[in-house]
Amino acid sequence: MKRNRMKQSIVMALALIMVLSLAACTGSKNNENQPTSQPSNSSQPPAGEATPNPEVPAWQLDTSPVELSWFVGASWYPHSWGESLASKYVTEKTGVNIKLEVPSGEANEHITLMMTSGKLPDIITMGSWENAVKKLWEGDFVYALNELADQYDPYFYKVAGDGTLKWYRQENGNTYGIPNDSYSPNLMHETGMTAANQTFLVRKDLYEEMGTPNLSTPEGFLSALQLLKDKYPEYKGQPISPFFAQGNVPYGMTEYLQNLLAIPHEKDGKVYDRITDPDYIAWLKTFRTAYERGLINVDFLVDSDTQVEEKTNNARYFMMVREWNGMAAVNPMLAASANPESYYVAVDGPQNSRGDSAKLFPGNMDGWMVTMISKNTKHPERAIRFLSYLASEEGQRDLFLGKEGETWDMVDGKPTLKPEMVDLLSNDIEKLEKEYGVMDTYWMVRNPVIINQWRPEKAPVLKQMEDFANAQADIDSGIYKGLDPLGDSDVAVAWARISQNWEEVMPELITAKDEATFDKVFESFLARRDSYGFDKVLEFRQAELDVRKAKMAE
Amino acid sequence: MFQQRTGLVKSLLRQWQLQSMVIPGIIWMFIFCYIPMLWLIIGFMDYSIAKPMLQSPFVGLKHFEEFIGDDRFWRSIRNTLGMSAIKLVFGFPIPIFFALLLNEIRSIRFKRTVQTISYLPHFIAWTIFGGIMLNWLGEGGVMNQLMMGLGIQEREILYNSDPKYFWWITYFSDVLKETGWSAIIYIAAIAGIDPALYEAAELDGANRWQRMWHITVQSIRPTIAILFILAVAGMLGSNFEQIFMLKNNMNMRMAESLDLYIYNMGLVSGRHSFSTAVLFARSIVALGLLFLANYMSKKLTGDSIF
Repeated sequence: MKRNRMKQSIVMALALIMVLSLAACTGSKNNENQPTSQPSNSSQPPAGEATPNPEVPAWQLDTSPVELSWFVGASWYPHSWGESLASKYVTEKTGVNIKLEVPSGEANEHITLMMTSGKLPDIITMGSWENAVKKLWEGDFVYALNELADQYDPYFYKVAGDGTLKWYRQENGNTYGIPNDSYSPNLMHETGMTAANQTFLVRKDLYEEMGTPNLSTPEGFLSALQLLKDKYPEYKGQPISPFFAQGNVPYGMTEYLQNLLAIPHEKDGKVYDRITDPDYIAWLKTFRTAYERGLINVDFLVDSDTQVEEKTNNARYFMMVREWNGMAAVNPMLAASANPESYYVAVDGPQNSRGDSAKLFPGNMDGWMVTMISKNTKHPERAIRFLSYLASEEGQRDLFLGKEGETWDMVDGKPTLKPEMVDLLSNDIEKLEKEYGVMDTYWMVRNPVIINQWRPEKAPVLKQMEDFANAQADIDSGIYKGLDPLGDSDVAVAWARISQNWEEVMPELITAKDEATFDKVFESFLARRDSYGFDKVLEFRQAELDVRKAKMAE
Repeated sequence: MFQQRTGLVKSLLRQWQLQSMVIPGIIWMFIFCYIPMLWLIIGFMDYSIAKPMLQSPFVGLKHFEEFIGDDRFWRSIRNTLGMSAIKLVFGFPIPIFFALLLNEIRSIRFKRTVQTISYLPHFIAWTIFGGIMLNWLGEGGVMNQLMMGLGIQEREILYNSDPKYFWWITYFSDVLKETGWSAIIYIAAIAGIDPALYEAAELDGANRWQRMWHITVQSIRPTIAILFILAVAGMLGSNFEQIFMLKNNMNMRMAESLDLYIYNMGLVSGRHSFSTAVLFARSIVALGLLFLANYMSKKLTGDSIF
């Protein structure tokens, strides 16, 4: 009897577990298992097709309908293709219909999964810093763009820009991807547009009511915080959070803060260990003091993205170490709210003991994301032609401005967005991107050199921040961005351990009960860092920097 | 023996419609649980996804040595065991109590309503539920308002910033979300008890408490034993999504579980061999725990899985 009951419950338990795990599986794996759509009508190039002419865009040779899948390695990317005016226009013109795919979670993992299963989409756009990009290139998962161009569309060389092709050329002489938002130093010097994002922001009305305190010295910073605590714990009916740093420890409180303090990247030709710089440490100690006195809380180290968003949207932060373009939607909204002065303005933030102004990262040659053509594609010729069309001035215009007469007009020989589009841009950017799909909707191969001339004047509340960042950008420092080793090599693992440890140590430093404890924690971090192999990391950075300098000199 | 065997085959054949229902499950298990085991071999290689599996070089126990020498690995073991122990000791009995209480409710409609409501949170993804938890634990959240309203604390506490609360946060959020769902299996077991037992006990003058203890609890004891054994075997596992949502730089010290360690040190950098090695070691320990729990349960209660 007992045995029997035992068996029954085993069966029941196992059955339930099975059902549960099955359900869990279908729930989470759903997205990943979706096969990439294969275009149904294959259009092999006709045998007698004319030899490609380097002066003529080759996409015009074949505008029969074809569908290409395009992976965009950003889980937050909200747009689709085929509903908006710009995308319809491009499809009509070139015959290429795009099926956009985004990862359900981390782009790296998603693309790795697709690599192992051999089901890569036709076109892939991924952050240039991602591990998977290197794997795609080294594992021969993507076409060399130069080879495709030689074969199908030499016009590509004309539009892709020699500089960027060279920048991404690998040791075997091939270039596998083209970047978007890539800025060369020459261009930045020429135009003054540096693509610098980093700013130090304060809430305008509060800052002015406090008498525009000086935040650039530790003393000024602390006394402003004291004033805030004493007089404005609540302001216009809201509790105020004194401080926020974007990207938490590894970014906002490290690299970004170091840039604000104008800490050099290099001393006498050697990469500099910026974390040990006395000015940086002095400021970390300032934050510690502020925490000890109850002037700041640790919410900026703890809050989730949604919590940060909520506070930002209600202008609850007093000051922020934050990229201004992250405020592009919020600032106009705040300026149009019941408290029209509650938006954020860029001011001088923490500075080093010499009072140097900040040296902010500009855009760089790496750009933001790179776009590649996978070897799984059945239509490499259409893919490369489409890519070179998008990279050309015509393609950039079609995607950025849309269709002439509908979203833009020629005004004095210059393509100009229609006033109603400009209006939407500041009031209903969602509608602009969904219905028209112009401006920054499809940024996958956006080339700032071409499209920035068509950008309408920014709203003053944005322009102030942008100008401030441009003025403080250190144009030649783009080369120092992202020198750290990535991937699964020993030195990369050492660096991963060190940086992950730093993420835990920094909060300990800020919440240390006194300065002696601070020093002790910092010392032990340095010792641990060495034991993890920091010397190898330094060597790697140095080598990487030397390579970049050599490429730049070319 | 022979007699029994033919009897088994015969009854299997007789029930073939019913038996065939299990086939999809077996296929599923074979594909997703057995075939992947072959890939454990990459734990002994420097595997690169860019190359076919067997072309990667064998490196022996390199990856095993690496994590065994890493203090962070041992910290993650401590955290995992700590969180599991709390869940096991304080969390495991809760669905049982819940099922027993629910069973005592006489109004069927009320019972069904409570049951449905209680297992609804299970269907909310951790990404969302975790977000809700973070809001509740935040400065202006329910938790702080409650504690301050009751006069237990004077000013807001960022609960999620203090490592010492973390294990309890995972425990409470887990109980909150999963109690109703975990109770289903007990409710099902209780439903299978022969009502004649209760009637007989009632005639013999047993009161409700006595019936609950001597009939209900004793009848579902094997179910409890099995789930307990499985829970012990799963002690080195943790709810990755939950921890991933709730962790931050400040509570990482107590939050980094073994799964999170594998994620941080392995998957983030694309080190599949390393991750596999850690997982392999974990599975071996889990198997040992399974045997141990099974043995103990057999000795103590007479119920066991095998």
